[in-house]
Amino acid sequence: MKSKSNGKDFCTFALPGLFCFLAVVIVPFLYGVYLTLTDWNGVSRDKNFVGLKNFVGVIKDTQFWSSLLLTFRYVIFVVIIVNVIAFAIAWLLTRGIKGQNFFRAGFFTPNLIGGIVLGYIWQFVFSRVFVSIGDSTGWGAFEASWLSDPGKAFAALVIVSVWQLSGYMILIYVAGFMGLSEDVLEAASIDGASGFIKLKNIIMPLMMSSVTICLFLTLSRAFMVYDVNLSLTAGAPYGTTEMAAMHVYEKAFTSRQFGVGQAEALVLFIITACISGLQVYLTKKKEVEA
Amino acid sequence: MTQTTIGGTRKKVINALMMAGLIIVFIAYMFPFIMVIINSLKQKRDIIKSPFSWLFTIKGLSFDNFVKAFTQMDFLNAFKNSLIVTVSATVLVTLLAAMLAYYIVRHKNWISSVTFSLMVASMIIPFQAIMIPLVSIYGGTLNILNHRLTLIFMHTGFSMAMSVFMFHGFLNGNIPIALEEAAYIDGCTHSQTFFRIVFPLLKPIISTMVILNALAFWNDFLLPSLVLTDKKLLTLPLSTYSFYGTYSADYGTIMAGLLLCVIPILILYMVLQKQIINGVVAGAVK
Amino acid sequence: MKRKALARICLGLSLTLLSTSLTGCTFGFASDPDDPNEVVQEEPIDTSVDTFQYDTSLRGTSITLLNSKAEIQVALEKMSAEYESRSGVHVEVMPVTDGDSPYTKVVSLYNSGNPPTLSILDTTDVIALAEEKAADLTEEPWTEEAEGYLTEVNGKVYSFPLCIEGRGIIYNRTVIEETLGESFDPASITTLADFTGLLDRLVTAGMDRPLSLAKEDWSLGAHQLQYIYETYNGTSEGAQEVIEQVKAGELDLNAYPRVNEFLDAFDVLKKYNVSAKDPLGADYDEMAIDLADGKTAFWFNGNWAWPNLSEAGAENEDAYGFLPYFMNNDPNDFVNQKIQASPSKQIMLDGQMASEKEQAAAREFLNWIVYSEIGQQMLVKTCNIIPPFQNNPYEPSDPLSRDIYERVHNDEAFNASAIVPNDHWAVLGAAMQKYLADRSDRQELIDSIQAYWDEQE
Repeated sequence: MKSKSNGKDFCTFALPGLFCFLAVVIVPFLYGVYLTLTDWNGVSRDKNFVGLKNFVGVIKDTQFWSSLLLTFRYVIFVVIIVNVIAFAIAWLLTRGIKGQNFFRAGFFTPNLIGGIVLGYIWQFVFSRVFVSIGDSTGWGAFEASWLSDPGKAFAALVIVSVWQLSGYMILIYVAGFMGLSEDVLEAASIDGASGFIKLKNIIMPLMMSSVTICLFLTLSRAFMVYDVNLSLTAGAPYGTTEMAAMHVYEKAFTSRQFGVGQAEALVLFIITACISGLQVYLTKKKEVEA
Repeated sequence: MTQTTIGGTRKKVINALMMAGLIIVFIAYMFPFIMVIINSLKQKRDIIKSPFSWLFTIKGLSFDNFVKAFTQMDFLNAFKNSLIVTVSATVLVTLLAAMLAYYIVRHKNWISSVTFSLMVASMIIPFQAIMIPLVSIYGGTLNILNHRLTLIFMHTGFSMAMSVFMFHGFLNGNIPIALEEAAYIDGCTHSQTFFRIVFPLLKPIISTMVILNALAFWNDFLLPSLVLTDKKLLTLPLSTYSFYGTYSADYGTIMAGLLLCVIPILILYMVLQKQIINGVVAGAVK
Repeated sequence: MKRKALARICLGLSLTLLSTSLTGCTFGFASDPDDPNEVVQEEPIDTSVDTFQYDTSLRGTSITLLNSKAEIQVALEKMSAEYESRSGVHVEVMPVTDGDSPYTKVVSLYNSGNPPTLSILDTTDVIALAEEKAADLTEEPWTEEAEGYLTEVNGKVYSFPLCIEGRGIIYNRTVIEETLGESFDPASITTLADFTGLLDRLVTAGMDRPLSLAKEDWSLGAHQLQYIYETYNGTSEGAQEVIEQVKAGELDLNAYPRVNEFLDAFDVLKKYNVSAKDPLGADYDEMAIDLADGKTAFWFNGNWAWPNLSEAGAENEDAYGFLPYFMNNDPNDFVNQKIQASPSKQIMLDGQMASEKEQAAAREFLNWIVYSEIGQQMLVKTCNIIPPFQNNPYEPSDPLSRDIYERVHNDEAFNASAIVPNDHWAVLGAAMQKYLADRSDRQELIDSIQAYWDEQE
């Protein structure tokens, strides 16, 4: 477009949305960053500037770092499994199989259940269904509730997150597949490309923008996991499944160290931003190549 | 449909296997939702003692939970509130985000790149980190909490980044600039080009974003709970508060309440799915 | 085709639900008179006598009350409606919802510039906020009626004690008697050895594991572990003293007898736990059902468990009550004779943002609860609360609260509240879970308690 009308374009197209975004997200965020440099406890009337004292508190909080480590492990599992499953299901659901709309509606349902119900239903599954399976089959893995063993409780968290997030990602991948033009696919079949080769050489490159989006979303959501963590395990058994976001919240409000909690949130943000920035950079590069 | 007709028996076997696999995964995905439906018809004791038992073997199966949820939630009023907030915020964010994304994609200048990076980065901000600053600014300083408009504005702001990100991806990959250039030659202004040519082409992604955003607004708990305290303004999720006790919760009513809340969203999804398909068909015809 | 059909089904379903709800009719089976899930009948309130002096100048004032005791939300709304009809003061009851802690809610409300006039909070929250935000209530008349139950911060009272809550080992007498085939007198159990003997006899009589033990961190970290402070000498001052000593490193927890005594008692609960096989897989709601059904005979909990028991089928006339948390074999030790009961929830009055008139109205509301005939009744009957006020003549109706009430009045309860940092229950609750699951031993548990206190400033 011509640069002459740039200013007007900016005002009509960009400004309204940008204003909402800045006012609601960025301004409070900056104010929050400022608060990490004060000794404000959330309620008192005065805020004294204390420099980086809260960040010293972050470094000293060993619990935070171990929760972060656990979060890394969790993120790796979740990101890989979610994307593989969601991609595969979305692909199947856009091939014109019978009843695909019915299926799509079904895969959408995880999005509908949140909060305490989500935690309660899945607690049922891990502590009742599994145990009753264990009782009738004698399989060791199902003998006791999964939520009372640190390793299995972690696995349970991954499973529920995969279930919930992939429901969302399927939607996005489906939109991506629908956006692929039929011509490309038809041309490919005429050339005689078989299933796997077609997927690798033709579909994947065209789907890279969806992949970028989904990877980014799963990555950031997995790092930020809070709801599922709280409603399913709440850190149990004995604090072994407490992820970073939950720890930050607990620090600020349960341990009442508001400044340190706010600073930890900032650290978590920076780490996540670096990692997902790297991911977007890498996958975007593939998009350009395609 | 084009796929299944081509190929021999091997293909058929593979297809059958894939179908079977899909059905198994499908059941796993549906399972919790089915549990909610079944248990919403039971009473607490049965929910706890026999969550899986088939409905009609249980004494006291009834719609009591639904009646209770409906009255305790002040359903019609809460429904109205949720509807106003969700519809306004969804329309607003879809429109503004599509425009903003369009600007970013078509104007390669520093404002675009800064805005876009800022938005992508902001999606990683934990909500807990801005919760208190947010209420301090909008409540303590501006004193505009407890209005529906404030909530609509905040919903719009919070979902802006994600929506722009999605529109951006779609615009980049699927909308050829040639169409717009043709429109300019025909004498269209930028606004006309956008609304007449580009916006209709965005249908699949608009449908996806409408459903995702509407779902998020409709079910959101945390933000409305910070903004709204006046009982007359409570949205559906907020109005289920009375089902939760300190030590335990009224599970049957919660599940009934949940179903009452999500049915409108399910219907919206059904309707929009058709839109997604129509959008694609329209795209193929062009 | 399928899609259309599904959409139609959904629409149909929603319409059916809607119409059912609208007309209020019930499908399915007619309600059973013995239905255990039936709503508990509410006790009638006698509103004929009201000698309370209302200040007419306050008419039209509107105040807010933040409620963090979810189970009395509906009751409080009724109470405020009754108060409004008489005083003309509107009390808006705001709930603290799931996922929010009361403290977080109050903090966010103060930040939004719109704090509640009155807030029902836990004692630690009141102490954290008192001097910064709360109005001084030291001169209020009701302080005299609540002697022994007031929380003071630097010699001043900033909060209104709303209720007394007690905890111990809940028993179901009928079940014990049916299992053993003989009558059971709770007073005959006076030591840990007696209690263990009783448990053994129940096991012999066929009740494999007669006791329910919650795995929740608040139960383990607050209700269980805090016995080590509260039983120092059974007073709040004593609890404070022992905490100060541990914090300062002057008291070796290994050498402090109450720690090991507490763990002896806890080990007994652990051994007879109905879910001993998988103690961290226990389910809170199921425990209430097990006790009401007679699958178990005991449950470690407090009088707040009544709504759960009642939902599970227990009736007001049933024989439930508390045994003390036996910690040793000395029948003369007060821990084996008395059960712990102390004020739990407190109401704080905002002294920072509320106007004079709002504060006056809030003070009148508190006085109305204590002094008016109707307020007194509603506190006990509608809210089902054990009032800490001596002048309230009404007795609670459910067996658990009644037992606590009688013990408080017969000097069979000790009132010691340990004031611990807010994350005590969460951090040490996790340590207790580890011990409960046999993933740590006594020494490791004691070390983590010590480590926790060492970190406090």
